[in-house]
Amino acid sequence: MRTAPPPGRNRMRLRLLSVGSLLAFVLLWQLCVAPEGVSDWRIPRIMLSPPSEVAALFVDKLTNPKPDGETLVVHAWVSMQEAFLGYLLALLVGIPLGLAMGWFRTVRGLLRPIFEMIRPIPPVAWIPLTVFWFGIGLGGKVFIIWMSGVVPCVINAYIGVRMANPTYINMSRTYGATDWQVFTRACIPSALPMVFGALQIALVYCWITLVAAELLASDKGIGYLITTGRFLGRTDLVLVGMVSVGLTGALISLIIDRIEARLLAGLRR
Amino acid sequence: MSQQNPQGVAVANLTKSFAELTVLDNISFSIARGELLAFVGPTGCGKTTFLNCLAGLTPPTSGSILIDGVPADPTRHNLAYVFQEPTALPWLTVRENIAYGMRIKRLGARVIRERLDTIMALVGLADMGDLYPNQISASMMQRVAVARAFAVEPDLLLMDEPYGQMDIKLRFYLEDELVRLWDTLKSTVLFVTHNIEEAVYIADRIIILTPKPTTVRSEIVVDLPRPRDVMAPEFLAIRREVTELIRWW
Repeated sequence: MRTAPPPGRNRMRLRLLSVGSLLAFVLLWQLCVAPEGVSDWRIPRIMLSPPSEVAALFVDKLTNPKPDGETLVVHAWVSMQEAFLGYLLALLVGIPLGLAMGWFRTVRGLLRPIFEMIRPIPPVAWIPLTVFWFGIGLGGKVFIIWMSGVVPCVINAYIGVRMANPTYINMSRTYGATDWQVFTRACIPSALPMVFGALQIALVYCWITLVAAELLASDKGIGYLITTGRFLGRTDLVLVGMVSVGLTGALISLIIDRIEARLLAGLRR
Repeated sequence: MSQQNPQGVAVANLTKSFAELTVLDNISFSIARGELLAFVGPTGCGKTTFLNCLAGLTPPTSGSILIDGVPADPTRHNLAYVFQEPTALPWLTVRENIAYGMRIKRLGARVIRERLDTIMALVGLADMGDLYPNQISASMMQRVAVARAFAVEPDLLLMDEPYGQMDIKLRFYLEDELVRLWDTLKSTVLFVTHNIEEAVYIADRIIILTPKPTTVRSEIVVDLPRPRDVMAPEFLAIRREVTELIRWW
């Protein structure tokens, strides 16, 4: 449920507070890092680059392929492709599977034990196998990301169906609805809010797994950027990678939020 | 008010037990086609269990429920059940909710549209068709459920204290609406209530149930013309008769 925004002046105050705290954080960060070659109470440059350097390198990397081989834009694009592909496949497989497992006893009996066994394995643990199966390119990443995204999709869809109001189901039954009709007309619509929750959760899982997967085995992407920064001793490069991860993740989250608001306007009743 | 037509609902020796507890004990009665039959009993006497057996949601322990000579089956017969709680589906509009039963029974688009227009005009919901349940009051949600039930033109319409939560003025209004729907569409209605005045107001016949283990105590015919005057001496006489039968439990 969306709560009403606070009235005019309070809203301004809250915005100023957010901006202010961000600025304070960046300022503190800048002041705590020692200049090149100086060695006092401040943090040495090799351990943490100041925001000024990070920002400068960020802007530079937008067009400069050195020192890691590609521009930031290319890395970000590669990462997003992997993430989205894995994410979409996770939705396409996980949600119908979870819905079916929630309603059909045979499906549940067949698949739940396997699911419960695979679920605790961290997606990253699949990397050695996928390197053998797919190499270190797109296919392997998508598989690992898919593996991490499919779990919340199945769980949320499953719970959504299990929590469907039994009165709606009974009411449908008295009209002579078949099992399939009850499933499609009463259970699935009931489960939709939970399914949309899965969309957000799976996205976070997928994005986090992507970076981890790229850290361990990759030749392009933001995670690869961070690894290269580490190998070259370029802390500023590492930080540029981290900031990019954060920014892109936040952006995608925002987009999904907007889509959800539009689609669920009909359902959030 | 018995019809020449023998078709209708015939319940014989209906018994329902849950392990040691016998809820329904050897209930037998019949409803002629087009009749409006009210069941009156105390709270907790198994009225909802009774309706669940009739609707095919729970199997009876023994006994038979025959509709037009065939064992009652929601997939075969045209049944409708208005529950005590509001059952308007929150993701559908008023119009789509009323059409829900018809869609499950896979009626044709034209039939659905025609019946929708008729029913929504009858219950005065025609200009609220595009609202969602969270935009209408609880009483309107119940009217949607009642309209949805009548829309499938059921062989048997079961109603479980649907107006229990409403105040007197609204109750009378909805009872009038129910009688109007019943009379226009010539449905067969089984109405369960613990409100004696409501039963006398709407029913052709009233069957009085005992507390658990529930069985039929008595039956009273209400032969008054509608609309009934709740203050008329004949009405009050029947009402007193029902009350006294109930009080002697």
